[in-house]
Amino acid sequence: MTTTPTDHRTTTTHRPRRHTAAPARPRAAHPQRSRRESAVQVGRLAGEQLAVAAGQVGAGIGNLLFALIAARLLAPGAFAELAAFLALYLLIHVPAGSLSAGSALSPELAARARRRALIGGAAAGGALAVLAVPLGALLDLSPLLLLAAAAAAPTAPLLALDRGRLYGLGRRTRAVGSLLAEPAVRLTIGVAFAALVGPVGGAIAVVAAGWAALAVAQLPAGETAPRGGAEPSRPQTGLAIAAFLLLAVIQNQDVLFANALLDGDEAGRFAVLSTLGGAAAFATTTVPLMLLPRAGRDALRAALGVAFVLGLAAVAVVAVSPGGLVSLVFGGRYEQVGALVVPYVLAMAMLGVARVFVAHACASNGARRAVFVLAPVALLHLVLIAVLGDDAAGVATATLISTTVLTAGTAAIALPRPLAVRIPREAVWVAAIALGGLVLRLLATRGIWLDEATEIHQAQMPMSDMLANLRTIDVHPPLHHIILWGTVRLLGTGELAVRVPSLIAATAMIPLIHAAARDIYDRRAGMAAAVLASVAPFAVWYADEARMYALFMVFALLAVWMQVRILRGGGAGAWIGYVLSAAALIYTQYFGILFVATQQLAFAVAIARGAVPLRRYAAWSALLVLLIAPALSFAHAQFSANESAGRGFQQPSQAGGSVEPGAAPGAYAALTNLAWAVLGYHSNATMTALAAMWPLGVLLALSLLGRGRSWPTLLVVACALAPGIALFALGQLKPFVFEVRYFIGAVPLALMLIARAVTSWVRRPVVMAAACAAVAAIMGLGLADQQLNGSNPRVYDFKSALDRIEARAEPGDVIVFTPQYVDHVVAYYEDEGLKMQPLDKGLPAPRRGHRLFLLASFQDKPQYRKAAQDAVRKLSQRHHLVRRDRVPQILTWEFRR
Amino acid sequence: MTTITDTRLRRPAWSAAGPDSVRRRWIRLLLVAMVPLALFYFAWLLQPDRIGNPVLYVLLLAAELFNACQALGFWWTCSRERPWRRSAWLDLPPAVDVFIPVYDEPVAVVEPTVRAAAEMTGAEVTVHVLDDGDSDDMQLMAARCGAGYIRRAEHEGAKAGNINHALAQTDAPFVVVLDCDHVPEREFLEATLGCFNDDRVAFAQTPQYYANWDRGEVPAAAWGQQALFFGPIARGKDGHDAMFCCGTNVVFRRAALLDVGGFPIESVTEDFELSIALHERGWRSRYVPEVLAHGLGPEDMASYVGQQQRWSRGCLSALPTVLRSSLPLRLKVQYMLSASFFLSGWTVLVYMTFPVVRLVTGAQPLASTTADQFLGHFAPYFGLSLLAVTVLGGGAYTFKAFALQAASFWIHVQSTVLTVLGRRGSFVVTPKEGVEGRQPRAVAPALAAIAVLLTVAGYGLLRDRDPATLNNVAFASLHIAVLLAGVVPALRRRPLPLVAPRPYPVPT
Repeated sequence: MTTTPTDHRTTTTHRPRRHTAAPARPRAAHPQRSRRESAVQVGRLAGEQLAVAAGQVGAGIGNLLFALIAARLLAPGAFAELAAFLALYLLIHVPAGSLSAGSALSPELAARARRRALIGGAAAGGALAVLAVPLGALLDLSPLLLLAAAAAAPTAPLLALDRGRLYGLGRRTRAVGSLLAEPAVRLTIGVAFAALVGPVGGAIAVVAAGWAALAVAQLPAGETAPRGGAEPSRPQTGLAIAAFLLLAVIQNQDVLFANALLDGDEAGRFAVLSTLGGAAAFATTTVPLMLLPRAGRDALRAALGVAFVLGLAAVAVVAVSPGGLVSLVFGGRYEQVGALVVPYVLAMAMLGVARVFVAHACASNGARRAVFVLAPVALLHLVLIAVLGDDAAGVATATLISTTVLTAGTAAIALPRPLAVRIPREAVWVAAIALGGLVLRLLATRGIWLDEATEIHQAQMPMSDMLANLRTIDVHPPLHHIILWGTVRLLGTGELAVRVPSLIAATAMIPLIHAAARDIYDRRAGMAAAVLASVAPFAVWYADEARMYALFMVFALLAVWMQVRILRGGGAGAWIGYVLSAAALIYTQYFGILFVATQQLAFAVAIARGAVPLRRYAAWSALLVLLIAPALSFAHAQFSANESAGRGFQQPSQAGGSVEPGAAPGAYAALTNLAWAVLGYHSNATMTALAAMWPLGVLLALSLLGRGRSWPTLLVVACALAPGIALFALGQLKPFVFEVRYFIGAVPLALMLIARAVTSWVRRPVVMAAACAAVAAIMGLGLADQQLNGSNPRVYDFKSALDRIEARAEPGDVIVFTPQYVDHVVAYYEDEGLKMQPLDKGLPAPRRGHRLFLLASFQDKPQYRKAAQDAVRKLSQRHHLVRRDRVPQILTWEFRR
Repeated sequence: MTTITDTRLRRPAWSAAGPDSVRRRWIRLLLVAMVPLALFYFAWLLQPDRIGNPVLYVLLLAAELFNACQALGFWWTCSRERPWRRSAWLDLPPAVDVFIPVYDEPVAVVEPTVRAAAEMTGAEVTVHVLDDGDSDDMQLMAARCGAGYIRRAEHEGAKAGNINHALAQTDAPFVVVLDCDHVPEREFLEATLGCFNDDRVAFAQTPQYYANWDRGEVPAAAWGQQALFFGPIARGKDGHDAMFCCGTNVVFRRAALLDVGGFPIESVTEDFELSIALHERGWRSRYVPEVLAHGLGPEDMASYVGQQQRWSRGCLSALPTVLRSSLPLRLKVQYMLSASFFLSGWTVLVYMTFPVVRLVTGAQPLASTTADQFLGHFAPYFGLSLLAVTVLGGGAYTFKAFALQAASFWIHVQSTVLTVLGRRGSFVVTPKEGVEGRQPRAVAPALAAIAVLLTVAGYGLLRDRDPATLNNVAFASLHIAVLLAGVVPALRRRPLPLVAPRPYPVPT
């Protein structure tokens, strides 16, 4: 290229236009500012946020207006088609919208990725176009609508990228313009087309509106604007996109799964909730995108303030008259949903706040942390929907819990110091393990068991009546009953509600066992113990039972831990912890006294060696005696009442699947209980096979040679073994007492010992981790078999049996059940329309046209098997056997006259 | 303060001292409790109803009775500990000849021993390096250390002959024998000479401590076995006046040695046979439960196997000598227990055979019995036996020590056969430095046993998975696990030290 200085036309070299790279963000330096300056800055930023949010809200109102006008203009069927098209349009745009986060964080991403986005969108559109006919048949939609959706597909990623770029470059006006372009086109062309052509016309206009918004959003190349913060790396950008995609999943998966899981009415109710909640989430969509390009405390404050205000405003609007609002907008038949509107809109408002935290984390190079929080929360949300999603309220509850956890978690990672509490990494891991354990416990559901049903029945009585009932009929101390009494009044008598105390205790046991093992041994033992406790089959089983066993485990663990601390020279705190946990243990289950007695022997040895001052021990023990005196008095009253009623403590074995009814326990019973404690409950065949492997116990005994004997380990071993040995001895007289439930406090102690063995017997960290993983995997297999194997003799599926009866029964039908003591569980599941009576009161004659259902359980007991067989024989003589059914441990017969 | 890296020069990490009187009483109670449990088990076992396959039953019975005898012997021995207190030599410091027999050991291994021996206090010490390797370097080293050097023309009788030759060249009333790797402490003689205030004491034995116990799996496991012997067993033998000479770290009264004609040169365990001869002549022995010399244990599997082969050949060969001897019954039983220990490998072989036979043929030693019954009788006896070993061993006897012993079962079998066939063994010095690299040939028989057990277990599982099969597969797995734990050091390259070696400060 040559130049001649005199003629610029011939000498000026035309350089091609180039996308200039955005200037590197200066490090977010925070010079000391005055509060006033900061407040001014926050105000300015908040104003910017509100302006853009106003555009967003305006766009939303405009789009809603279009839908309402279309609803007026079109016939119902045609409007339904247009609404389905709009849902499909959202389905395409919502996930693609996460790209906005990437380009807001890194505006040159829009330029870099535009071609790929176009190709991807075009490919998706092409696929949709090719499949228009079959999909249309499947979705009952006109193929033309699908073709329209195909035409919209390329705009989704492009629009997301370009809008994000606008936020990233601070081009707020154009961003608002792009937002408002859509409703503008919809309300002008869309209304006209819809009126003229019907839903297809409306759809075409919607597509055109999208392209128009894209056109507005596309900036000329080279547009830049100063931004704050350091330039993010590509991985950070990718992670930011992933984080926002997860947010979109959390925001929308409830309505998708509700549609699949719920029946039509409930799905419709939830759709109403989702629409209202969606409005709150929609209003705050732009706030995090505006925040992404900025990293700083003031920007965060401004964004949080705006998100909070918008969310609160949404809640306030719906809170004025939730039922009235729902009726007004959706019709009277949805009015009952009003009770759920405020919580659900609150959940969506919290989602808006959480998005701000996520954006701040992404802008501060913390996108990875954000993803680590979002992914498990998305999973938790899904699990909660699966577990709680029996109705719209359940799904809404799942969303509320998840968004609460989400907000707390994202706040923890995003809040700048000194606001943020420094959370050690180990605590994060333990929390993650506990969360995983909670998920397992929520998934491992089963129907209410008869002991639970009895206790639920008792818990529904007035407190004084309940205690009198316990004193005269029951053989258990009252602590769990009192807790359940309160639970029932707070949360109701639903399956999950009554198990909340056990669920909380069993989940809390995970961080507790971590803390105990860490304190007694070391960090590695603590982590290993937490992992094992999260998957231990026994711990999971009793997390899901509305009985005292989960509490038993927690208090036993706590009492032993506190004793170790005392013996190490602990002060008043350890003594208080010990006394309270030991007392609570006895108030939870009387067999807890065996643990406490073992601990007293240990104290005696310690006193003899001078490790514990006698006076101090005497003082605290006196307090313990004082605390448990009422429990002992209560026990005495129970014993007397049972004796005078001729029952004593000879209980029928209600645990199911016991080793051999009535036989004094021997070595096989001991092996079986040991297998249960570590590997959970399994079918009889599996237990026989496991017991046959006892020579491996010899290997374990041999491997203990030379392992050393620290006194904390000896104490833990003693507390784990002694109660079981005592009950084994007592079991020679009363066989039913030797069952691992009654010394279940040994389970967390055993887990702690296993964790200690795994982490101290192996030196190399990799081998240690592998060993821990192997043990956890074995327990996990045990857990899976326990939960999924239908031959598990511990599973008494009253729920399925009674659900099946309820599905076929009509008012006036009769349920006869045997044995008599399943009355409470039958009453729990059956509604009041059916007559229920125990078999030992005789067989009623069903009226003509009505049915008699015979439900029989505990058929392994000869007397109940005979009673059921006799009843079937008698009924078969005069009635027609319609159906016979079998679920685990329950047989049902349906007779019709 | 200077630092050194020779592990023999650091403080011992083990004490040979026995428990206090309170603990001794509890241990005796424990041991007493074992007897009725053993009777309970054997009363159940020795019933005609129990007989399944007669041949297998007899084998089982033989193995169980042998182990019960060994266990009873162990308990009896350990229950008779004599409290130890050092006593001072009551006369003027005597002259002591210190013999350090060497063959082909490295000078670097020998020199610390020679230097430390020269610095022993409490007597007039003369150190003699007895060099059967005819090494000039060794001669120079001896001169450098101010020690005597004795080289003989004929090398008859291995170590025993070497010592006898030196006895003829020296004249001190007391003789200390130290293996060339066992570095004595300065107070070695002060701690031991007091035993000879009793004119009838022929020798005083001190523990063979392996200072390199933490330098690898083999020395660690070997040390676990040694610790059990030089702990409760040796203390118990001392209580029975039955402690025998172990070949190093021992002080002799010259007159006693001369009385029996010196060390017997016909046996590979000359120390064991010497002890029998001395006790037969009415001499007494003492055990000093203090670590007074620090040696090196076998550092690799081949060295360990060689050592065990020598000991088992020697002790089994000595059985006829014991039986023919005119020892008092108590001492005879003690020697029988020690010598017959090297038959215990046969019981391991027998136990391993049972699951193989059961899985292949269906035959089993016991009939008409359930797991409940068997465990109910066997578990208390076995559990308490393990507890006794743990308590008595003070935690030094580890699973690895047990596994190495079990995996060396074939050595006992081989030695028995060779002894019965009258094949003479040869004295092979245990190498003092380990060899790099894997040594599968040193554990080939154990590997073969593992292969057989694995094959049979797999065959059993493929054929059936009923409880009886699973039970026998579990037994096979138990044996496999123990054998593997015992042989795995031979299948690794030289393992890293259990504790990273570091310089040890030595006051200067």
